[in-house]
Formats: sequence, structure tokens, C-alpha cells
Amino acid sequence: MSARANALTAALEAADYKGLVQAVPYATYLGLVVELAEDGSRRYVMDFRDDLIGNSSLPALHGGTVASLLSLAMQFEALIDMPAPRLPDPVDVTIDYWRSAAPVRCTATARLIRSGRHVAQAQAVCYQEHANRPIAFGRSAFVLRDV
Amino acid sequence: MNDTIDKTDPAVRAEIARRFAQAIPHNAAIGLVLESAATDTVRMRLGYQAAFLGNVEAGLWHTGIAFTAADSACGLAVFLALPGLEAIATLDLRMDHLRPALAGADLVIEATCHHVTERMAFVNADLHQDDPTRCVARATATFTRTGKSVLA
Repeated sequence: MSARANALTAALEAADYKGLVQAVPYATYLGLVVELAEDGSRRYVMDFRDDLIGNSSLPALHGGTVASLLSLAMQFEALIDMPAPRLPDPVDVTIDYWRSAAPVRCTATARLIRSGRHVAQAQAVCYQEHANRPIAFGRSAFVLRDV
Repeated sequence: MNDTIDKTDPAVRAEIARRFAQAIPHNAAIGLVLESAATDTVRMRLGYQAAFLGNVEAGLWHTGIAFTAADSACGLAVFLALPGLEAIATLDLRMDHLRPALAGADLVIEATCHHVTERMAFVNADLHQDDPTRCVARATATFTRTGKSVLA
């Protein structure tokens, strides 16, 4: 097993979500935080930062940062929810933008829809202040690699 | 809407592209720069940074940052393809990841707006690492036209 696989497996076993995020520099760059909800589900949070703005006049977050949050949420959820530890690499990602993203924190929830031998599929939604007003939806397919 | 702008004039295109890129703080934050807006295909470049990696050990870019770069380049291609200075919004964007983007090399994004209707604009983008014959990703996006000027 590689050092990365060891670190990931250890982080997964300990439910050390901070450690998981730290293993992915781009997730760290976005300031991703994984929160555990009361019902045991996970929420993926990206706090607002000025440098995430994509439209200064609205203002609104860059759509790419919302897409990345959704994508990371689906990837982590796939990684965490997988029966045996395997690395999910995104093969394709589609994001539907439903509302413009206000300059406040974003929260995403993701669901592993299917996990087969070689391929996994996930969906995610992103909301801001109100969970019943989602701002974007994501779906993604992953190819699974043995660690 | 100001329809007197001649978007076929290379100097006008370059100036519009420069201002468009400037109006997006996140582009500046990640270091996404415009290389060419002379033709229908807009070319942008995202310099490699270790912060963009998804897999440090294998030395691979995270796909999320490529999505962001594609969204920006597609937006600029659409903006230049519309007659005035019309505000636009990404409706949806799909990205296929054909092969991993390797650490140490930049990401080049070439976006082309291939069709415009009264309310919509359709755009494709190819992403590669300075070898257009070996794309790392392809994006297909639909943008909505707001009908409002960005200057309003």
C-alpha cells in the first residue's frame, strides 16, 4: 500500500475528515470543512472568501467554486461510503446552476447512488442560508481504483 | 444595450476580454490569464500551482479547478460572441475528464461559442497541457442571456 493509501485508510477508519481534506490540496485551498450532522450524515462546507467572487457587481461566487464544492462532496462521499477503500476518480461531472450564489458560506450534501465494481455514481446539492432553496445540483461518475 | 461595439475589431476584443477577466476576482486569485481572444476561440492559461493538486503522490491536478477554468473561459467566449455587452449566467456545464492533468504543467483552456439563440448561448471547451492533440478534459456548457447590459 502506498503512503497515500495508508493515510486515507487511516483517516477513513478514524472518521478523521480533517485528515481527508488535508490529503487533497485543492480541497484545502477552498477551505473545505466536513461537518457531521445530528443524523450522522455529512455536510460539506465552504466558507465565504472575497477571492471566491466571480461576479463583483451582483456580487456572486464564481460558479466554478460551487461546482468544485459539489464535486469534492461527491468524491468524499463516494470515498467514505465505499464498502472497500477504493479511490474514486471523477470521469465526468455535470453541474446545473439553479440560483446565483450569494457572497456567503455554501453547504453541500452528497449521496452515493451506486457503487459497482469499477464505477460509482453520485449526486449532490448545494445551498446557502436555506436548505430548502438549493442553488446548484451536481451529478458525477467515478472510476474506482484499488488503493 | 450598446450595439455600436465592433467585436470583430481585434483591439476591441482584446480590451473587452481584459476587462471581463479583470471583473472576476477569482480568476485573478487562481492566476487564470487570457492568452488570445483574437478568433472565435478564446484561449486562457492556468499556471500550475501545488494548491491545485487532487492527488499529491501521483502528481495530478484536481478536476475541480479545471471546471472553474473552463467555466471562466466558456463565459468569455460567450460574452465575445454576443452582439452587445450582455450579462450572462452559466445554466449548466458538463465536463468529461479524458485523462489526468499532470503536476508541473499548466492547463490551457480553449473555448468556442458555437451557437447563439435569442435567450441562450452554447459553448464547448477543450483543456490540454500544451498539446492540443491530447486533451485532458472537454466541457460543454449552456449559458443564459440576461438581456441586460453589464454596464447597467
